[in-house]
Amino acid sequence: MFEGVPIISIIILLPLIGAIMSFSLGRHDKYAKWVALGFSTAALVLSLLVVVAFMVEPNTGSEGYHEGNGFFDFQFYEEYSWIESLGIRYIVGLDGLSIALFVLTTLLSTISILFSWDTKLRPKEYFGLMLVLEVGVLGVFTTLDYFVFYVFWEIVLIPMYFLIGVWGGPNKDYAAIKFFIYTHIASLALLIAIMAMYFEAGANSFGMEDIWRAGQSEFARTFQIAVFAAAFFGFGVKLPMVPFHTWLPDAHVEAPTAGSVLLAGLLLKMGGYGIIRVAMPTLPEGAEALQLVMAAIAIASILYGALVCLAQRDLKKMVAFSSISHMGFVLLGYATFTQVGVAAGVFQMFAHGLVTAVLFMMCGVVQHHCGTRIIQDLGGLSKKMPAASTMMTIGFLASLGLPGLVSFAAEFMVLASMFDTWALWLFLPIISVAITAAYYLWALQRSMFGPLTTKIDTSHVHDMNWYESVPVGLLLALIALFGVFPLVVFQYIDPAVRIVLDLFGGG
Amino acid sequence: MIDWIAYAWLIPVFPFLAFVLIGLLPKRTLGWEDGGGYAVAGAAGALVLSMLVIWDVLNGQTLTHDAPRSTWLIIGDFRIEFGIWVDQLTAVMLVVISVVGTLVVIYSGGYMHEEGVGRRRYYAEIMLFISVMYGLVIADNYLQMFIFWELVGLCSYLLIGFWYEKPSAASAAKRAFIVTRVGDIMLMAGLIILFKYVGTLDFAVLFGQGAGSIVSRGEIPQDMLTLATALIFGGAIGKSAQFPLHEWLPDAMEGPTTVSALIHAATMVKAGVYLTARTYPLLVQTPESLLFVAIIGGVTALIAATCALAANDIKRVLAYSTVSQLGYMILALGAGGYLVIHAHEAGGYAAAMFHLMNHGFFKALLFLCAGSVIHSVGTNDMRSMGGLRGKMPITSITMLIGSVAIAGIPPLSGFWSKDEVLAAVYEGGEFDPVFFALWAMGVATAFLTAFYMFRMWFMTFAGAPRSEVHAHESPKIMTVPLMILAGLALVSGFALFVGEGFMGFIERSIEDLPVTPLHESLTDIAVRIFTDPLTYVSLVLAVAGILLAYRVYYLPGFDRSVFAVGVRGKLQRALENRWYISQFYDDFAVKVWYGFALVADWFDIYVIDGIVNGFAYLGANMGATIRKAQSGNVQRYASLIILGIVVLLVFILYVLPWGGW
Repeated sequence: MFEGVPIISIIILLPLIGAIMSFSLGRHDKYAKWVALGFSTAALVLSLLVVVAFMVEPNTGSEGYHEGNGFFDFQFYEEYSWIESLGIRYIVGLDGLSIALFVLTTLLSTISILFSWDTKLRPKEYFGLMLVLEVGVLGVFTTLDYFVFYVFWEIVLIPMYFLIGVWGGPNKDYAAIKFFIYTHIASLALLIAIMAMYFEAGANSFGMEDIWRAGQSEFARTFQIAVFAAAFFGFGVKLPMVPFHTWLPDAHVEAPTAGSVLLAGLLLKMGGYGIIRVAMPTLPEGAEALQLVMAAIAIASILYGALVCLAQRDLKKMVAFSSISHMGFVLLGYATFTQVGVAAGVFQMFAHGLVTAVLFMMCGVVQHHCGTRIIQDLGGLSKKMPAASTMMTIGFLASLGLPGLVSFAAEFMVLASMFDTWALWLFLPIISVAITAAYYLWALQRSMFGPLTTKIDTSHVHDMNWYESVPVGLLLALIALFGVFPLVVFQYIDPAVRIVLDLFGGG
Repeated sequence: MIDWIAYAWLIPVFPFLAFVLIGLLPKRTLGWEDGGGYAVAGAAGALVLSMLVIWDVLNGQTLTHDAPRSTWLIIGDFRIEFGIWVDQLTAVMLVVISVVGTLVVIYSGGYMHEEGVGRRRYYAEIMLFISVMYGLVIADNYLQMFIFWELVGLCSYLLIGFWYEKPSAASAAKRAFIVTRVGDIMLMAGLIILFKYVGTLDFAVLFGQGAGSIVSRGEIPQDMLTLATALIFGGAIGKSAQFPLHEWLPDAMEGPTTVSALIHAATMVKAGVYLTARTYPLLVQTPESLLFVAIIGGVTALIAATCALAANDIKRVLAYSTVSQLGYMILALGAGGYLVIHAHEAGGYAAAMFHLMNHGFFKALLFLCAGSVIHSVGTNDMRSMGGLRGKMPITSITMLIGSVAIAGIPPLSGFWSKDEVLAAVYEGGEFDPVFFALWAMGVATAFLTAFYMFRMWFMTFAGAPRSEVHAHESPKIMTVPLMILAGLALVSGFALFVGEGFMGFIERSIEDLPVTPLHESLTDIAVRIFTDPLTYVSLVLAVAGILLAYRVYYLPGFDRSVFAVGVRGKLQRALENRWYISQFYDDFAVKVWYGFALVADWFDIYVIDGIVNGFAYLGANMGATIRKAQSGNVQRYASLIILGIVVLLVFILYVLPWGGW
């Protein structure tokens, strides 16, 4: 469909152009949201076409198909030389690991922009930064050159820093700086890992495939362990993993709703994506040596995150902590080193992206309409906002892994692979299934059900606006769709994951 | 002739369509009762098709190993497919769900009339509830079943919390979901174990058609199969409200009474019994699990019966009676497994399903009668009822029929199935003496059941009115379903003697097991029942229970205050507090788990984040200190660089290798 068209680059460029236009609107800043919506929608439509093309011409010979010969096979492959002397190239491509996250990015970006429709404070900067963020995340999910990957990785931090720091809540300065420094330190570990791989490979190339190929023979076990540890730390902080997670609740509590949606929906996925695209295939012996560490951290994140949720008073902080618990499933799936576990982990990223976006939007709705998110001050809102209450209920149910909704397949398969690898240790992470139900339903009971609260003035509380209910409704429809037909996504993840596992220990 | 059984998959589609229509249609097109019409149509469509499918099953057709299937997921080497499974066991479930479901929906037309706009949500949720329950019983593998299993739990949550503005309803709904989810975790773990060893969750493979059991094929070690079956039964403990997870069900009466009727008679709690029966081909390979099943069932039957003795809420009495009767079914399944292993008989298994069907009818009847009473007098508290017999003739007579049926008085349905259950348990005693103890518990339960049911009936309908309410009989739309159900409670026990007989029919669903068909003629069954002295033991005790209730709660001159003093007083308070089990759970949830959560939260803020902030603080201050090091003194820089190199070299050359790197 896209023969000879650099379609991925075009999709990455679209929001960038939009951002530049938005920044330069001058006094006409009321058009910023239209510019942002237009460019992000264009990117979304094109990315959907890419998905269609990806599905109908799966591989073999079509132009833009790049065979990895043991490494991943890509479609829509583009390669341009950039800084030849250092072996830096601009390479992009998509495969089963990235395609779902790629579309998730364009989708959530568009939806977040729509959701921010009534942003009054500095709209042209706000919408411009949202688009820059989209560029960064799209770059991370498509780039196949470590140098460019790292550049995109760092680009993402900057708009998010400003989104929290300028449009955030009361404690925004602390949260923004903490977010920036914390994740930046993690990025440094990643940079060290990349540099170490670059020099050790000695291929004068930052290309992921080149370094992987050289690494097959060049990377000694000790080297792999040390570098995997660094890369895992770099990616894991983003995930986030316990105990390196405390930047996340602070960032979420202060971030504007759309910022939270992108932070939890996309930025966390960068960590999970990095581990499976970079760290595990390139440094398999390192991963094997640290398998138990990964599993222990994953289980700790799952249980600890769920327990802390139970104690939260702020609805949004609870949702933030639930991300830690649910992203733990991603890591747990990876740590099993089984086909089922890794594929389910990748699917869980996609599922969590859809579900957590709904949850943060519903927190935003509650905040926006009631002026507070403190659970004890809410109560009985169902009467005042039935649509919001229904959508929040479905969102919570999706997040607690109700079958028929998207997360179930992922969680069930991760747990099944967990038993496959560690037998009865299964009973540790599986407890979280009950704790998760407890904190969500308890929060629902206290905020939405029961008699109408008297602690806040509810006389002006009304149901959701169109720009709130349309995005949430759309996401809920997708959550149900992929819950009933998970195979639609799974069938592309599965072969890509097979390649990862073939890399392990020589196949 | 159309092969109706091939269209079994359409059964859940009818109510599901009704659910979608009621949910999405514009309000003014909803018609009668704000969606009630669509609901009745959806339920009736499923009823008709169910009956046609059941007809096919009665004629010897089943749909088990050769149904068309569709792929849900392909992951690694696993291919997960969904399909349809209809055998005799499914047919029994279809009877109960379709009949009770349809009558409940019709009855709702009167009962929920005053609900106004809320009816739309009510009918939509009821339709979803019935639809997913059908989905559960026609699933042909455990994963598909588990999906519907969870959705059944969801619908109970929504309907128990239907009046969500009532704090008690919101709390009961949450409790029901979380407690059953504890069971679901066990079920999930059990399924995961099976999945790992056998590589599939399809009944057709797991139940080993012709190829021997999965243990004998060497696919799963014996101890793992025992663990798996015990865990799968754990799911039933949660769903079917068995001890120690039974307390959610009595609380679950916060929903409309029609919902209670559905949950207790046809949908939610019957799912656990169905799961246990469906797992029979695996359970009979694991005697330890069977013993566990039987003991849980026996203990539940007795404990729940005692809890019903002191309850004053009419629905609570019925709720405990459900728990107790479910205990009977589970007990019969446990004992029946022993019979299959040792005597190659399916008597216990058949008795359990027979009791499930009979109980479905008379319990729906009892709940709908209670609903009729509550609808009329506006309270659940039997202490402010009394003397309603004259004002509500139909309700009082139909409820009497239900009470006689559950008490086990011939020729009503409860007698036949309860007798079969107790006979199977007693027979199990031949192979493990613990079944004699369980039989004794079952007989004691029969006595208590008769007593508390008639206590309830006398308190409600007999004597003089204890409050000023102006009671009246319910409208026809409510009383007609009552009369139909009363008719069923009168005759459903005779299923034992119709055609090939219920026992022979249901037996065929486990004919792959080493079971010798009974080949009892229908007269043989009657002779066996009426010549067995054990029949008269439980019958005499049941009559004694009724007479005792008659003495205490009907005849004048009995001073009930004797229950309130001394040891009896303590006992009564313990019963009123349901043996403090509920309280224990509240404490457990609040003090232990919430306590853990608070500690974890504190730890997160002050220790983990404290360390992070500590580093930040250190970093900020160190900047000030280190600035002094920037003295511009080259010699000093050089020495620091050398020091750094030395430290690094020592680290690389000595520390790293020493650490095994």
